[in-house]
Amino acid sequence: MPVEARLRDIQAITDAALSRLDDHELLAELLDRLREILQVDTAAVLLLDLSSGQLIATVAAGLEEEVQQGVRIPVGRGFAGLIAAERKPVILDHVDHTTVLNPILWAKGIRSMMGVPMMAGGKVVGVLHVGSLTPRQFAGHDTVLLQMAADRAAAAVQSMTAQADRIASAALQHSLVPSALPAVPGAEMAARYVPGTGAVGGDWYDVFTQPSGELCVVVGDVAGSGLAAAVIMGRMRSALRAYALEYLDPGEVLARLDRKMRHFEPSALATVLYAVFDPAMDQMRVCLAGHFPPVIAVPGQPARLAGAATGLMIGVDADVQRPVTTVTIPPDALLCFYTDGLVERPGEVIDEGLTRLCRVVSADPPEAACAAVMGALIGSEPARDDVALLMLRRQGDPAGLARFARHSTDGNYA
Amino acid sequence: MTQTPDTRFPCEMVSGVPVVVTPDAIDITNAGALRAALLDCYEHGHGRLVIDMSRTRFCDTAGLHALVGAHKHALAEGGEIRVVISDAAIQRIFALTGLDQAIPNFTSLQEALPQPPAS
Repeated sequence: MPVEARLRDIQAITDAALSRLDDHELLAELLDRLREILQVDTAAVLLLDLSSGQLIATVAAGLEEEVQQGVRIPVGRGFAGLIAAERKPVILDHVDHTTVLNPILWAKGIRSMMGVPMMAGGKVVGVLHVGSLTPRQFAGHDTVLLQMAADRAAAAVQSMTAQADRIASAALQHSLVPSALPAVPGAEMAARYVPGTGAVGGDWYDVFTQPSGELCVVVGDVAGSGLAAAVIMGRMRSALRAYALEYLDPGEVLARLDRKMRHFEPSALATVLYAVFDPAMDQMRVCLAGHFPPVIAVPGQPARLAGAATGLMIGVDADVQRPVTTVTIPPDALLCFYTDGLVERPGEVIDEGLTRLCRVVSADPPEAACAAVMGALIGSEPARDDVALLMLRRQGDPAGLARFARHSTDGNYA
Repeated sequence: MTQTPDTRFPCEMVSGVPVVVTPDAIDITNAGALRAALLDCYEHGHGRLVIDMSRTRFCDTAGLHALVGAHKHALAEGGEIRVVISDAAIQRIFALTGLDQAIPNFTSLQEALPQPPAS
């Protein structure tokens, strides 16, 4: 092939004008151009679905049935599966059920095929392959051209996936973090949730009341970010609410939650704080699963960490008993619950971050206290990690509250 | 693009046990690669792996996730991982998350390695 023609082909694949298309249109246009340049009858993009380990036909030109019928090829098997597993181009001169898993291809009489891996960030994201109804010998420069198109397609796919994940996880996060906090006699509350740079993460807070009138507060952080973390966060939030209705002891609730997570989400890891307030709001029982302790600010005194005992994170392995600590809350005292994004900074011991937080928390009305903490610790820099913050202040003793009988729960929580 | 061994997480045999030295900071940017390197290195250790974190000064939840992943993998196979933690910041994170009670940890590589049989 003359050099000019080859250059023209490369130009068709790398064409800057393609960038003006949206990602899905770009893939379709690339496949059309490939069919013309390589003089093939079919071209298809199969994308790797990480959860199933299968390649799923996503865009096709020539044999659109592949996409319409939802063709799925396991990585490691068949022609496309081999390309994804070996991460290198494969050329096939003999197409039948022994070499190609997808029956559409051999039933339609495809005779020769060539495919290349689609790589992004060092990982396989899919496979791009072309096929011809007449027998043909694909040459080295055909493979090079196909690989250029695959690189282009991989970048488009990366951007498509990232955008879809961002939208979905933001919607999920938004639907799960309560926009309005419940009105509870004797308590005032305010909260903030701020996603980290780039992606929504797995931080959440939750506030609900028990039929008994006890107020429950949850703050948690699922390791990871994006849609995967947000989905796990949603499941943890629902499971915790369910166990909270069944068991009075916060330690028992977190133990059940841990067991559920280790069984159904064995690769998940999370920190959770769960606190139950007496109806009189004068004390809380708090259990920590690897979560940082709350800060308590009593009027007229410097804020400090509420001395709550530590327990193991959720999702590790052992069936551990987590200690439950009873914290006394004086009238007008404020409690500050938060996630690590608020206090963790590279290059410093976590205690420095905790000390910084204690310095800025005061027993102000919760809205003002939230604003002061976010202003001092987050400021105008976008946070790296997401941040959840919940402030709760016990209102001074209105006479009516005294008649709520306190549950007698002292004793064996350690 | 080809797969090359991850040079950020060298795996060396010390007294017959694979030892991975973790970098200055472990966070979302390198935790995934660390997790893969730990699992890979564990395969060479006949059920043992030492993670030397004595150079590490920062480890966030993503980093802990990688360590716990390796710990659970080893447990499931009847093996064990040990971590070496000498930095106060990392010791504190292990204490606050309760992981110091769950993953065997030592303050020096020497202590983490199997002791030679007494003669």
